[in-house]
Amino acid sequence: MGTHRLRVNGSWHEVDLPDDTPLLWALREDLGLTGPKYGCGVGACGACTSIVDGSAFRPCTTSVADAVGGDITTIEGLSRRGDHPVQRAWVEQDVAQCGYCQPGQIMTTVALLAEHPDPSDEDIDEALRDNVCRCGTYARIRVAVKRAACLARGER
Amino acid sequence: MLGRRSFLTAAGLGALVVALPVPALADAEGLVPNVFVRLDADGRITATAPRPDSGQGVRTVVAMLVAEELAVDLDAVRVEQALGDPVRYGSQAVGNSVTLRQTTEPLRRAAATARCLLVAAAADRWGVPREDCRARNGFVTHPRHRRLPYAALVADAAALDPTTVAVTLTPQAEWRVLGREAGRIDAHDIVTGKARYGIDVARPGLLTAVVARPPWIGAVPDVVDDSAARAVAGVADVVRVAAGIAVVAGSAPAALRGRAALRVTWTGGTPTADSRVWLEDLAAALPATGPAPGPVALEAEYRLPLLAHAPMEPMNATADVRPDSASLWVPTQDPGRLRTLLAQTLGLDPAMIRVEPTLAGGAFGRRIETDYVLEAVACSRAVGAPVKVLWTRDDDTRHDSYRPMSVHRLSAVVDAEGLPTWRSHAVSTWPLTTAPPFANPAVVKGSGDHFPYTVPGAVTVGLTPAPLRTAYWRAVYAGQFGYAEECFLSALGDRGGWDQVALRRRLLPPESRLRRVLDVAANRARWSASRKRARGVACHLDYGSAIAVIAVVELEDGVPRVRKVTAAVDVGPALHPSGVRAQVEGCVMDAVSTVLGARITVRDGQVVQSSFRDYPWARIDRAPDVDVVLVPSDAPIGGLGELAYPPAAAAIASAVAVATGRPVTGMPVNTDVG
Repeated sequence: MGTHRLRVNGSWHEVDLPDDTPLLWALREDLGLTGPKYGCGVGACGACTSIVDGSAFRPCTTSVADAVGGDITTIEGLSRRGDHPVQRAWVEQDVAQCGYCQPGQIMTTVALLAEHPDPSDEDIDEALRDNVCRCGTYARIRVAVKRAACLARGER
Repeated sequence: MLGRRSFLTAAGLGALVVALPVPALADAEGLVPNVFVRLDADGRITATAPRPDSGQGVRTVVAMLVAEELAVDLDAVRVEQALGDPVRYGSQAVGNSVTLRQTTEPLRRAAATARCLLVAAAADRWGVPREDCRARNGFVTHPRHRRLPYAALVADAAALDPTTVAVTLTPQAEWRVLGREAGRIDAHDIVTGKARYGIDVARPGLLTAVVARPPWIGAVPDVVDDSAARAVAGVADVVRVAAGIAVVAGSAPAALRGRAALRVTWTGGTPTADSRVWLEDLAAALPATGPAPGPVALEAEYRLPLLAHAPMEPMNATADVRPDSASLWVPTQDPGRLRTLLAQTLGLDPAMIRVEPTLAGGAFGRRIETDYVLEAVACSRAVGAPVKVLWTRDDDTRHDSYRPMSVHRLSAVVDAEGLPTWRSHAVSTWPLTTAPPFANPAVVKGSGDHFPYTVPGAVTVGLTPAPLRTAYWRAVYAGQFGYAEECFLSALGDRGGWDQVALRRRLLPPESRLRRVLDVAANRARWSASRKRARGVACHLDYGSAIAVIAVVELEDGVPRVRKVTAAVDVGPALHPSGVRAQVEGCVMDAVSTVLGARITVRDGQVVQSSFRDYPWARIDRAPDVDVVLVPSDAPIGGLGELAYPPAAAAIASAVAVATGRPVTGMPVNTDVG
């Protein structure tokens, strides 16, 4: 048990939890950030994917102790009005079906575009291969990733 | 005209509420269900979605139907989710692809009634004939009078006698919202993380429970030592539930730690159960079919595995059970039946039970069941506090109710051209343990047998008791029957040297919907110009809809990869085109996943798979390009959510057979199924 000081979506939070508590539960239950979804708890589905220091990571397999010192962004912190280029592209392409995996798909894409502003199909496969969508929205995700890249570059 | 039992009331301060009986939904108990459209005094429009949304988009179509008939833009309609209430809404089940078939007409009529009343109120105020006025963009207009916003007419409209107003639906030719491209109404909430699913429910004092489940099928707890579990910080109680032992705690991680500390020995059940043995038993139990009327040209057997539903959101439910009432928040496919069941279980008046269906992170048939809900109810009742029961992914994969295994033996007699003139299809499978009517082979046959071609023959179903829980899975038995039949037809076509599309055209009535979509799909996929590619085709006619699917497969380092899938679909009028395409795209990915690798196996009494690692649902790098062509028709609105799965699976498997030169023998292809 310990107090962990976490930086999430630009503000500081303190949680009193055992060191090995998965960060996902701290986010969801202690911070009320339910955008990162529990899908598997073992890093096998990507539904909780968030960003730490610019890179995509899995809060379900990261302990609160290990999360200390990182600058964490969840889907809630991606943009103030939900108008990040990736979010806009997702809405425009009508990607979601049930929507449960989409916060993870979106956060993975945000990290991808930071590294590859104009991703190839292979880049997209590589980045998103570990994000499961049980509804089967992959074809639309691929289009939306490319569209988001255009929007991020300021193209219409 | 409105029916005699129609009624209209003013609710609250001058609100216009249209509540129409829905005779088509009235069940045998003579209930009078209603669907609602409400206009508040400020003109705000609220539509009630009578059935839950688990990703199929029903909430969006409800908004579109109401926006169309009230002549407003889609974003002017707010959608409320109906609580479980079979008295008011009739069946609220989402299953068998019935939602839009059963709710479109009543919802349109409810909204059209509101529009016609608003028009009548304006005409009466202006003293002009009602037929000279029109509703448009939230106003009623007349050529010589000023227009009036709906808000100014709500009170007058609510005071009218609805039986004096003729109600007309907006003709399809004048649709401005229906049939047009529109995004999902929940899209912004989804992409910002605001969308609330069952697992996100938060209540004051909410506890979380996880259940220690049997380590082999059918086992029950023998000796339970919960002292270590109770000593875990945050654990509130340990509760016996139907499936095992629930650990109730102040947080999910505390409950998980408590479960890990639980010491349980188990007894009974089938610790040596093995799905390979089950498959052999099913094969041995294949029913006899009648004698063939001539020499059998081809016989083939197909073996299909267990499949799990594996929705992204694992099973969960939240219950707050009090002595004289209960509240539930549940991702469910049937909130109405759930309320009825809970009233019986708790011995309460149904009116004292509130069942709120949340958004569901996928369902695929799994959430028609109630086992996970009853666990939450049992825990809440025992501890006297609101409890959310949470299934881990391991729980969800290993303790699902599965699609039954099946073995299919098909044979055919052919004529001189190699065309089938007689067919037989013997099926050996299990009933659905969670749906008692399916213990009847005739019901199973009715679900599975939709062979659309003009070939006489016999389908015989043999059922043996299921050795584990089995349930509805997208397309139900049609997923197995249709797969076997279309794979067999392709094998028969290959034997006779037939082009697969030409073969099917010969076996379909010339003016049929199915032949039309087959022609559209073949044309779109450039079938006649791509003979060198490994292709497969299959058709399906079910739920009042018709579809043809063409798949193209390539080998990559010897591994089949689905490159392109083309589907032509006739669902009657496509109310929400993007949603129609989405359902087909989803079924295609289910087909890619199940034909090329995902299956459930049982060894030593336990399901082997535990997550998406070993139940390998296809990822983006295995997703083909999917081209969905909507083929409009005058047919009534057809069902769609499950339609594309059987033919997509068969088309992909048949294309894999062409690519590899190895005939299809089951699902997944080229795998030891059991």
